Amino acid sequence: MLQYWTAILTEASIFGILALGIDMIWGWAGDFDLSAYAYFALGVYMTMVLTIGKPSSPVVYILGYHLPYPLAVVLAVVVVVAFAAIIGAVALRSLREVYFSITTLGAVWAIYYLVENYTPLFNGYNGVYGLFDPMGPGLSYATYHYLFFGGCLVVLFLVYLVVQRLSRSPFGRMIRAVRDDERAASVYGRNVFWAKYRTYLFGAGLAGLAGGLFAAYIGAFNPLDWKPTEIFVLYAAILVGGRGNPRGVIAGSFIVYVGFVELTRYIPSPAARPELGPALRQILIGVLIILMLKFRPAGIFPERLGTDGTEAKRSLKNFLRRREPESVAITVATPVVSDPGNGVTA
Amino acid sequence: MSIFWISIGMGLSVAAILALSAVAFTLEYAVSRVVNLAHGEVLTIGAYSAYVGETNFHLNLYVCAVVATLAGALTGMLLNFSLIEQFRNQKPLVTLIATLGASLILQNLLLIIFGGASVSYGFAQGNLLHVGPFLWTVLTIKVMISTVIVAALVYLMIQRTRIGKALRAVAQNRDLARVSGIPARQIVMHTWALSGAVSGFAGFLYGETVGTITPSIGNGFLLLSITAAVGGGLGRPYATLGGALVLGLVMSIAGTYTSSAYQLVIAFGFLVLMLLIKPNGIFVRGKAQMVRA
Repeated sequence: MLQYWTAILTEASIFGILALGIDMIWGWAGDFDLSAYAYFALGVYMTMVLTIGKPSSPVVYILGYHLPYPLAVVLAVVVVVAFAAIIGAVALRSLREVYFSITTLGAVWAIYYLVENYTPLFNGYNGVYGLFDPMGPGLSYATYHYLFFGGCLVVLFLVYLVVQRLSRSPFGRMIRAVRDDERAASVYGRNVFWAKYRTYLFGAGLAGLAGGLFAAYIGAFNPLDWKPTEIFVLYAAILVGGRGNPRGVIAGSFIVYVGFVELTRYIPSPAARPELGPALRQILIGVLIILMLKFRPAGIFPERLGTDGTEAKRSLKNFLRRREPESVAITVATPVVSDPGNGVTA
Repeated sequence: MSIFWISIGMGLSVAAILALSAVAFTLEYAVSRVVNLAHGEVLTIGAYSAYVGETNFHLNLYVCAVVATLAGALTGMLLNFSLIEQFRNQKPLVTLIATLGASLILQNLLLIIFGGASVSYGFAQGNLLHVGPFLWTVLTIKVMISTVIVAALVYLMIQRTRIGKALRAVAQNRDLARVSGIPARQIVMHTWALSGAVSGFAGFLYGETVGTITPSIGNGFLLLSITAAVGGGLGRPYATLGGALVLGLVMSIAGTYTSSAYQLVIAFGFLVLMLLIKPNGIFVRGKAQMVRA
């Protein structure tokens, strides 16, 4: 039971990182990006082909190195960001709102079919698999998983610190200003494309990082088990948690992910109908997305913005320091009858 | 050279079905300003209702076509009533996300009802026929003739009837149409019924041409429809028709010389190219501007 919960919470914390990345693009910059799955998957693939070594026939994939795990993850993130730089440049240059979403939707499915059909890249349908031990050899199965869970939590916390810091920084204010009124932000001298582009690359990098962790966690990745629809649960999670609020997003991913796994755990999946459980889960995700959009679009923990654009800090000190607004004396300006002839002093 | 002409012929038959689906998609956008990501599922529902009609009720295939059309129309109306109208005053992006949810729901309902295995129905493909430089089967010719008829009916309805006139007015400006005495809500509902019917019929044709259907066939077709609509001109039925024709030809010619597995990759390349060069669509006049629907 303990191992079961460790597994679920490990997945939830990895998806929390991914959700933070998606939320930067969707919540902060206001661009609903559907290709986050591609960055996540690319992160998984790159980490794998950089660590599991040369492919043995009939398996084929590119690279095939035996790099240390942390280095592989870093390289994977670099590749993902470079890749996002291309898609972002196309999608963000002059396209907004639904056109942006359409482009990223097209990108994710095109990449999906490319990876599935072009075998030399990542072994096509069958996917890439291999064993590697990022924590070093000599650990028992259970210890390894506890340690890995701890590692994921630490990474999630570090990512949260960075993201929260960024969210409250001038950059965080600027990107939200761009989201709320692009024209006004550009009049005030902000480079709209550059702001959105940087956010996009950062978010994609986080998705790649989550992919790197996920690679070590599942050890096998193929396009049939991991369709782009698999991560729609995170869109629901972000909606539930609250777009634009890093804490809310993390809470949302834990609540929604664990909630869904627990809810659908007891649905019988007879051998004849193995698709029943996952299908019901997807239906619930769809219902949740629609209901949240309709009834509580800001989420459970809405983005809180103070008057200066930063999130209002709710500390005790600030609470005690807050004063009642002073009553403002209303002065009625008496109209001055001006006489152009008089009053002109030399 | 003959391979080239054959691929053009194939392109025309693909473009025929694509045109119907894309026009339905674009009509939905025209009246409701919604990029309907659940559009593919309406096609799938059409295909499956034809399948149910044939296997469970042993209906004639032509009757099945009518059943598919009606099922599509019903689904369209249901989508409009239960989802699109609920988000009417929201930004298009919010509605897009909501239709993403609807797409998940519909696709997985079909998966639960019919299972994930592929099923089939339909005419035999028929004899191969040489028509001019093209090589078609009897079935593809039937498909193409029926799409031309349906497209002509849609054209007549939009251009020549009172409802069509009101539809065009609502597409231009819903509020202005309302203050001029047009019952906008009903017109939008009619449009969704029309576009659902066209999608259902397109799904029926697609299932018949491909031979096998699964709950996810509509998904791949959704992307092609979006590409055709955006490439031609989103929200403009006739521009969309042109876009579908161009896309069908591009895909078939490129697919002949590479591999048909990369259809969607090619389609995406086409979409990106269109968005970069002429984001408003090939068949829409006016210079390119920042596209923010």
